[in-house]
Amino acid sequence: MTGPVFLFVLAVLTVVLAPLVGGLLFGLDRKLTARLQGRVGPPLVQPFYDVLKLWHKEKIAVNRLHLVWAWAYLVLVIASLLLLVWQQDLLLLVFTLGFAAIALVMGSFSVRSPYSHFGGQRELMQLLAYEPVLLLTAVAVYFRTGTFLVSGILQQDRPLLFSLPLVFAALVIILTIKMRKSPFDLAACEHAHQELVRGIYTEYSGPYLALIQVAHWYELVLVLALIGLFWAHPWWAGVLLAVAAFFAELVVDNSTARVTWPVMLRLVWASCLTLVLANLAALYLIV
Amino acid sequence: MGLVTTARVKSPWIMHFDCGSCNGCDIEILACLTPLYDVERFGIINIGNPKHADVLVVTGAANRRNARVLRNLYEQMPEPKLVMAVGTCACSGGVFHQCPNILGGVDKVIPVNVYVPGCAARPEAIIDGVVLALQKLAGAA
Amino acid sequence: MAPGLGWLVGVPVLWPVLIALLCLLLRPYVARAAVVLVGGGVLIAFSLLVYLQGPFTFTPPAVAGMEWHVLLTVLDFALLLWFLHAALVQRSLLAIVFTLAQLVPLAYWEFALHPQVTVEPAFVVDYLSIVMVLVIGIIGSLIWFYALSYMPRHEEHLHLAQSRQPRFFFYLVLLLAGMNGIVMSNNLLWLYFFWEVTTLCCYQLILHDLTAEARQNATRALWMNLLGGTAFVAAMIYLSSAGRSLAVADLVAKGGALPLVLPLALLCLAGLTKAAQVPFQGWLLGAMVAPTPVSALLHSSTMVKAGVYLILRLAPAYQGTVLSNVLALTGGFAFLVTAILALSQNHSKRVLAYSTVSNLGLIILCAGLNTPLAMAAAVLLLIFHAISKGLLFLCAGAAEQELGTREIEAMAGLAARMPFTATIAFIGMLSMLVPPFGMLAGKWAAMEAVAAAGSGWSLAAIGLLVAGSAVTVVFWAKWMGRLLSQGLPREKVAERVPFFFALPLAVLVVFILALSALVGPVSAGLVLPGVSAAYAPVLGVTAAALILPDGFFPVWVLGLIALVGVILPLAAVRVRPAEARPVYACGEHVAEGERFLSLADSEARLEMGGFYWAEFLSEGKLNFWVNLLGVALILALLGVSLA
Repeated sequence: MTGPVFLFVLAVLTVVLAPLVGGLLFGLDRKLTARLQGRVGPPLVQPFYDVLKLWHKEKIAVNRLHLVWAWAYLVLVIASLLLLVWQQDLLLLVFTLGFAAIALVMGSFSVRSPYSHFGGQRELMQLLAYEPVLLLTAVAVYFRTGTFLVSGILQQDRPLLFSLPLVFAALVIILTIKMRKSPFDLAACEHAHQELVRGIYTEYSGPYLALIQVAHWYELVLVLALIGLFWAHPWWAGVLLAVAAFFAELVVDNSTARVTWPVMLRLVWASCLTLVLANLAALYLIV
Repeated sequence: MGLVTTARVKSPWIMHFDCGSCNGCDIEILACLTPLYDVERFGIINIGNPKHADVLVVTGAANRRNARVLRNLYEQMPEPKLVMAVGTCACSGGVFHQCPNILGGVDKVIPVNVYVPGCAARPEAIIDGVVLALQKLAGAA
Repeated sequence: MAPGLGWLVGVPVLWPVLIALLCLLLRPYVARAAVVLVGGGVLIAFSLLVYLQGPFTFTPPAVAGMEWHVLLTVLDFALLLWFLHAALVQRSLLAIVFTLAQLVPLAYWEFALHPQVTVEPAFVVDYLSIVMVLVIGIIGSLIWFYALSYMPRHEEHLHLAQSRQPRFFFYLVLLLAGMNGIVMSNNLLWLYFFWEVTTLCCYQLILHDLTAEARQNATRALWMNLLGGTAFVAAMIYLSSAGRSLAVADLVAKGGALPLVLPLALLCLAGLTKAAQVPFQGWLLGAMVAPTPVSALLHSSTMVKAGVYLILRLAPAYQGTVLSNVLALTGGFAFLVTAILALSQNHSKRVLAYSTVSNLGLIILCAGLNTPLAMAAAVLLLIFHAISKGLLFLCAGAAEQELGTREIEAMAGLAARMPFTATIAFIGMLSMLVPPFGMLAGKWAAMEAVAAAGSGWSLAAIGLLVAGSAVTVVFWAKWMGRLLSQGLPREKVAERVPFFFALPLAVLVVFILALSALVGPVSAGLVLPGVSAAYAPVLGVTAAALILPDGFFPVWVLGLIALVGVILPLAAVRVRPAEARPVYACGEHVAEGERFLSLADSEARLEMGGFYWAEFLSEGKLNFWVNLLGVALILALLGVSLA
């Protein structure tokens, strides 16, 4: 079942279905956030309206490079997701996702706009905070399963969560950054109503803002799938785990305030690196 | 209504520009975002960036000092775009209309699609104005 | 057969000496250019011939009744006496102490104890040597060519009465002779001689501009490298007095006598000083005052690579010892902290220097892990780092001569102003941190290796490795972003690139792209044979991928991703003039967004700068602790060897 035809069909299905799921999750996010704030909130399919509208707006741009990086971001995020569904090397997935983040940052630096640059620098700080944790997660999974290949991880009978609970906790903390949620939404938060201008996104408009939005949908699906990997059998347990993490993020988002980048860096490195290394040490000592 | 038009009508992102209002109308606009009125249920988001905005909501009378800024912001909005003048000052210059520095209503500087009178304009009136603007958009498309 | 092999050793080592002498004697530019071009061409050709020959051993016959080791001994002491002279001229107590610490014991040992100092065979060339010979010969020669365009402009800038280029090229060319000697010698004493030749060239090249700063930094480089030399001498005397042979091949051979850890630790210390690892990073950073070709040469293919080479060469000897583990930590520590120090730098060459130390730290981390996969990762990193870093220094030099400053902030929007140089520099930086480039293949292998090592030590190494990787991404991305920062589309600028700038840059960038795409064959043809001499093969290789039992690096798939993600949009996306809008500046922008209306309607330029985190991360704040920990690690390195 791993012939090239199968892999191709899988890729097509992923590329088509992932944004549908991601978009609905974003809609759910907005709806639930509104409810948590005592509002009615937009319809569930609101993200699709937004993207469709943006896609059909006039194309305006500052320069060519700026637009190129938006495409690069989308393609690289999709590629990371494909590496996951093709059950490839977890390390490469993290590297490719890192490349995607770099593409977004390069885009923000490609224009002479202070807002965009600020967003880019902060995005880099976020990258600095989560990248080691993602890599360490891959290493921890290797410690537990003896392989970096997703295919090998899926062959495990016992959920990873049982032996890697602290790593899982660290990954959930990282999820806050990847989902651009409070308290770590310092580059630009997902909900557009909090800030005057929007960091990295400031100079993107119309179709290119839509591209980035769609890339975020793919990215959300990807990080949630990584969460789900911690309880891969039966598959619905993984889905439940991911959904639980997603809801936890919404609650955290609505009950915390944004922190500055030094605080984020200190909090994330201190907590996550300790959690992961403690888990690794425990595995090493016990096994 | 085609799918794209539906999407446009369902997702009007507004940018609010204060041309020199007394802040009465500004506060009413912000009131629209509160749980009581909750304009986000119509997909309306208040966004601080002309490059993302569909509707430019202007309060206060246009004057010589800020006409340039108003025009700049308007030009940075991608098509299709709408302009709403909120409050009497934005519509006509209001009580300031004979001041030496005042040009008059916002329409002296940029084309205006919807006028929402009132001093200050009530949130219901503002939401009504947005709905009117969206109808124009749907009709125009 | 034998004379042929003699040529393969003789030309890489002696030919640069001849070229160097010619450069010193010939004053006209054209003559020097011709000599350097022919010399470089021959050196490249012979590097390739060495590769085609494959591994071999060779012992030079005595010439006219004189044994080679007699000549080398004479030169050795001449060199040490010259160092003493230089140390006295510079009034450097440390340099004097470390020269005497070599001179006196060496003289006593060689003349009073009459040790067995000849070794059969004198030269052993295996695949690790071949990798080094290729890197030295090809990249080194390209940097010579670059210097042909760089130095005249450099001197024009300095308004010299008389050109000092003959002297400059003499040492620049001689350095490669020393390097080739290091990587081919089997005799530790001969290796030591070539080692000191590189120290000499390095000192003279840093000193070249004769400013007060140049003198100071050259002196620092001198004493730090002499410290390494002292450790080298101590190791040789220890080995000899323990009745061991001075042959490198015997030292690393399996199944022989138990390894003596202390001399190995001393040799590693020598390697660490040459590779400018913490706390010796100071000399490499100081080397920045020299003209750019020097930096490019010291950082990419020579000098620091000699240190790494020695550590890699000896790796099988200290496999399984605590020394190996401490070495891994020392490398990992340097990898992380120098990357952090690079964050706060606005000086392009200092960022490159810190990045060099950092990457060498990574290679040493791999050597310390000492597993077959880690060694393969180390050699991969060595090759790709040499190419990328050489390229980046050459780009930095080209930008510096155009802009008149080395500041990264001054490079804002270079992509629009110097499209050729900026594009190549951008590719060079990108090749340091994203797939599918070879550096990433090396990092991938390193991470697989460190995870698979599975010891308590490797746990610490993992932490250093992942944190260092993330910091590396940040300081490169910051700089890359600076290059791109630009306004509305403009008319294309035609960049005037001197031929000898364009040639090495183009060749190196083609190397990066081609060798990254062919990382499979490169691994199969060079890396794995170099490693498998002492280690079981572990890395599977096809034309399109690297394969491990528990990992997969499909380089062509990753290349395709990069192609679709970046190259395709680059070719397809267009912005028509009607679509162009200035950046958002609160509606106050004028002049297409380059300026905005500020106080009282005065026009102010829109200025932007990067984050440098000076209040947290400046060298002033961190250096003390970094060096303290570095010294502690060095002491631990020697301490565990004594135990």
